Amino acid sequence: MNNFLKGLWREHPVFRQLLGMCPTLAVTTAAKNGLFMGLAVIFVLTFSSFIVSLIKHVVPNQVRIAVYTVIIATFVTIVDISFKAFVPDMGRALGPYVPLIIVNCIILGRCEAFASKNSMKSSIIDALGMSLGFSWGLFILASIRELLGEGSILGYRLMPGSWNNLIVMILPAGAFIVLGLLVAGMNKIEQVKEKQT
Amino acid sequence: MKETIKITSVLTFVCILCSFLLAFVWAQLQDRVIQNEKDYFQDSLSRLEPDSVKIEELNVSGELIYKLIDNNSRLLGYAFTATGQGYQDKITLLAVIDSKFQNLKGVEVLKSSETPGLGAKIQEENFLSQFKGINVETAVECLKTETKQPNQIKAITSATVSSRAVVRILNQKIEDLRAKLNNQTYE
Amino acid sequence: MSDLLFIFISTLLINNFVLTYFLGICPFLGVSGKIESAFGMGMAVTFVMTLATSIGWLIYNLVLVKLGLSYLQFIVFILVIASLVQIVEMFIRKFSTGLYQALGIYLPLITTNCAILGAAIFMIARNYSFIESVIFGFSGGMGFSLVLLVMAGIRQELEFCDVPKVFKGAPITLITAGLLALIFMGFSGLFSNL
Repeated sequence: MNNFLKGLWREHPVFRQLLGMCPTLAVTTAAKNGLFMGLAVIFVLTFSSFIVSLIKHVVPNQVRIAVYTVIIATFVTIVDISFKAFVPDMGRALGPYVPLIIVNCIILGRCEAFASKNSMKSSIIDALGMSLGFSWGLFILASIRELLGEGSILGYRLMPGSWNNLIVMILPAGAFIVLGLLVAGMNKIEQVKEKQT
Repeated sequence: MKETIKITSVLTFVCILCSFLLAFVWAQLQDRVIQNEKDYFQDSLSRLEPDSVKIEELNVSGELIYKLIDNNSRLLGYAFTATGQGYQDKITLLAVIDSKFQNLKGVEVLKSSETPGLGAKIQEENFLSQFKGINVETAVECLKTETKQPNQIKAITSATVSSRAVVRILNQKIEDLRAKLNNQTYE
Repeated sequence: MSDLLFIFISTLLINNFVLTYFLGICPFLGVSGKIESAFGMGMAVTFVMTLATSIGWLIYNLVLVKLGLSYLQFIVFILVIASLVQIVEMFIRKFSTGLYQALGIYLPLITTNCAILGAAIFMIARNYSFIESVIFGFSGGMGFSLVLLVMAGIRQELEFCDVPKVFKGAPITLITAGLLALIFMGFSGLFSNL
């Protein structure tokens, strides 16, 4: 259970481990985009971790990174093709960031740090925890940016008519700043928790 | 040496397995992917010219444009894409023009990465509807103020560069195609 | 010729890999602490990126497309990149131990540097010619180096400032990057009249 929960908060891949920033900043212009990217990562991380854990004793040390990367690239390609086949609009919206999941440090990071050293069952649980953590992180960031930048979340208008859209939120600059503030926020929460113990 | 062989064979084996997996997935989904791409283009085209039932490709001195034919086999007009530099990145437009190259029937934006909330408004109906039926016998003009002539459109407030880019891209393409069509004999 | 110059300037400034497309953030946050390591990293990335786009273009257009295997592009690209990084690492270890020590763990991480794979993906998506791809790879690397160096300079100054504890490290770097991104936006209109 702990194995699953750690990815959701304590060892959050983005806010605590500072991994996988590229897609986090790029696709969080709208909550829907963040959700789909999260789904893609859940698929890729879970399957990749499973396979890596399956073959961990067979792969020689020197070539393991290359092998893991090829496996990850395969599952990412499957996701890319699937998006284009079943949700082409989303595929267009996420664009090049779907194939870029291959070099998302979270995936290779988990495969290397955990899946290559643990049982298949633990690896899958770890993968699910981390990727779900990643997904909610994406969703929060995307929702904030969409809310402030377009007045809506998932397309549903939430801000009153008088709200002036903060366009900078949808621009790259806004992404950096909001993420920076979120990480600082997480640091603060951890700080307060530490003081209490 | 033995180690190098082991390393290479494991990697090669994994690559081959993965390639087979991908080949399988691609074979299953290939048709859908290609169809979706076609549909994206067709949908835009249908919105601009709903009466066309047949689309024929036409090569005009190296440029690819599309003849739009209705169900009486009459030529309704032509469709073409045009790409050029916008404010941030390239903009790709899809336009439908009548058979005599006198009036545009409509314009849609296929691809653009303009500033959200500002330049990105070139994709909105408010801006694009100005191109419906606009006269293009002379170059289209983009004004910041209210329009007076039939070949003028009004730019989006605070997005003059993007608006002007759309007009410039269209004008260049229309002029280019007009010259090429006049030089070409076709049935 | 002007097309190539356009690609160079646009990739360097207007559509900078780091500040516009968010590629290469991990090393960007990790290595931008000191100017020397930032410079070394930037050069290594530029070298790998230029080679990656060149070789990638050749393999994609001359082999994959001809055989109808374009869906294998990602696997092929990442293998090319991984090999290139290995070679660069061996090269640096042999010729400059100082640089090797400074870059440390970050060298093999160039493989997962989204910027390199990103450059390859973009070049395919935009249908660049061979020369355009080489220039694109080179400018992408230079753009990355430029931002990395600017960031290193700023961070070295930040060392002397009183940053609140919760902001130390990643948060303040991210916010600085955001401000940099805003500044670079000023380059946007550079080519609008061409």
